[in-house]
This record gives sequence, C-alpha cells and structure tokens, in this order.
Amino acid sequence: MSDQPKGPQPHKGELSPAEIAAFERRAAELGDKIDKLQAGKQAEITAEQDRAMQSKGMAYGLRMSSELVAAILVGGLIGYGLDQLFGTTPWLFLLFFILGFAAGIMNVTRAFTAMQAEIKKETGGNIGQAVANDDDD
Amino acid sequence: MPDPIHQFNIEKLIPLDYQGYDISFTNSSLFMVGALLLITFGLMFAMRSRALVPGRLQSVAEGAYEFVAGMVRDSMGEQGMKFFPLVFSLFTFILVLNMLGMVPGWFTVTSHLSVTAALAAIVFVTVIVVGFAKNGLHFLHLFVPSGVPWYVLPLVVAIEVISFFSRPLSHSVRLFANMLAGHITLKVFAGFIIMLLGAAGAMKGLAILPLTAATALTALEFLVAFLQAYVFTMLTCMYLNDALHPGH
Repeated sequence: MSDQPKGPQPHKGELSPAEIAAFERRAAELGDKIDKLQAGKQAEITAEQDRAMQSKGMAYGLRMSSELVAAILVGGLIGYGLDQLFGTTPWLFLLFFILGFAAGIMNVTRAFTAMQAEIKKETGGNIGQAVANDDDD
Repeated sequence: MPDPIHQFNIEKLIPLDYQGYDISFTNSSLFMVGALLLITFGLMFAMRSRALVPGRLQSVAEGAYEFVAGMVRDSMGEQGMKFFPLVFSLFTFILVLNMLGMVPGWFTVTSHLSVTAALAAIVFVTVIVVGFAKNGLHFLHLFVPSGVPWYVLPLVVAIEVISFFSRPLSHSVRLFANMLAGHITLKVFAGFIIMLLGAAGAMKGLAILPLTAATALTALEFLVAFLQAYVFTMLTCMYLNDALHPGH
C-alpha cells in the first residue's frame, strides 16, 4: 500500500497516506509510552533491590565488626584465665590475644564468604554493586 | 537534660525473694510476658478463620512463617525444620520486644545484656547438646578442618575453639549493643530539642535540627529493630547447622 502513496484517489477500503501517517505516529507514540512505563517499572524494581541490599549490607556490616571484636575478647579472656590457672602472667594472655585476633579474622572471612554466596544467589552479580544513595547515616 | 540511661532502669513491680535470690517481677518481666501474650494471641487471632485465601492479618502470620521457614530451609535443609519451633520463637520474641521498645516511654527488654545473653546461651547450649547427641565425638570435627598439615594443626584447633566460643558473645552483644546505642542516641537528640526550646530567643529555632535528626533516627531504629531480629535468627540457623553437619 505504501509503495504507491502518491495516488490521488485511493481505492475503496484503503487508507489515505495522511491516515497511514497518523496511524503510524499513534502506534509509535504508544510504543514509546509502553517503553517508558516498562523502564520506570524496571527502575522501581532496581531501586527496591538496592534498598533491600542496603539494609542487608548494614546488617552484614554490623555482624562483621562484632565477629572480630568478640573473638579477640574471648581469646584474651581464655588467655587471662589460663594465666591465672598456671601463674604464667602475661604470656598466655598475649598468645591467646593474638590467636583471638586470628580467630576474629577467620570469623570475618567466613561471614564474608557466606554473604557473597547469598548475594550471588540473589542477584547473580557481585557485592560491589553501585547503589543509588550510598551515604551511611 | 534528661538522663538518657534512665530508660533502661529495672524497676521491681512485685518484689519476690527465693532463698536469698532476687526473683522480683520487674518491668522487664512485664514486657516479656506482654510480648509472649501478644505473639500467642496475635497469631491465634490472625489464624482464627483459617481461610484458604488469607485475609490481611492471616497474610502477616503466614508471611512470618514463610520468612522463618525459608531461612531455616536455606541454611539447614529440610531436616532443619526440626528446629523451626525454636527459631520461630526466637525470631518473633526478639522482633516483638524490639518493636515494643520503639513505643515512646516503653521499656526495651533487648537492651539488656542479661536477656540477650540468655537467648544466645539457649542457642549455644542447643548446638552443643544436639551436636554431641547426633554426631557423638564426630562433632569435634567442627574444630579440625580437613586438609590441614599436622604441624599447624594445634594452632588451627586453638583458633577454631576460640572462634566457636566467641559465637555466643558476638551473638548476644550485637543485639544488645544495637538496641542500647540506638535508644540512647534517640533520647539524647530528643533531649537537645527540649534544651533548645528552653533557650532564649532565636535559639528556639535551632530546635528544628535535632527534631529532624530524631525523626530520621526513629525510622532508622525501626529498621534496626527488624534487622537485628533477622540477623539473630539467621545466625541461629547457621550455628544450628553446625550441630547437624559438623566439619566445614
């Protein structure tokens, strides 16, 4: 139909070039509208994911710090107790303090591995995802 | 300025004494009993119709079940559902106590280390008892990672043991510290508002600053109240998993 748009009198039942143009314009507008809505919805989903990720990230951050501190404290306490028991102050305390630090690092590493696995399962991506609003207040 | 620590005071409502031990019914006990009643009757009320298509309250109750069940299945598999009653009780108890604490003037039970330590101890003892009951001495493999050369083994075992015993500490301190710090911060900012309003002239206008901060902090505290309940439950699942499947 469009290969002879110059015809002055279109056949009966056929659209005039002006009508075809108008129709195509409307279709294009509708397409744009749908695209826009879909993009908006996608952005909403991404924002939702980011929000969930952010609160989860906070939970994980709080977890990491306490894991490290707790292991050092427990290490120090065990060392102190053994020192009191054997009268070797302060050597066992120092030794177990350092061991506690190692245990803390191990705790954090394990927590991180678990967290990475979980996030990978959820988003398919890595942890270092760009977050829209990243201020930590 | 009002004392920001005052809100954590334990007050004896009904003084009781058992052979020299102080077992008084305190405001803390009152809120724990309140939380238990709220959870029990709340869930019973929500599930009263047992509709196939859930109503609003029933959706909340089912959502809570699905949420915890998902966590349990994810970390322990289907056989972990044996622990579901324990995990669900811990989650709802902590969540409701945290949320009750957000009501202005109400007591926050989870801001006391003795309470969170008791909850963490329940989990810790359960892990040890179930671990030995199910696996016998094989449970000790938890402390001996496979594939470690013998000459570093003593060091690794010592580190693993410290790591294991640090769990109840980090488990309880995290919940306690978060609730304590959050409520103190809120109270301090609220105190600033009153101080500035009591000041002369244009200083009154400055009160808008701590008011903004207190409002934002309140929202944050609600988030923390939920997150800490979630984290506590998630870690409970992880620790219980070690009891079922020792050895990494």
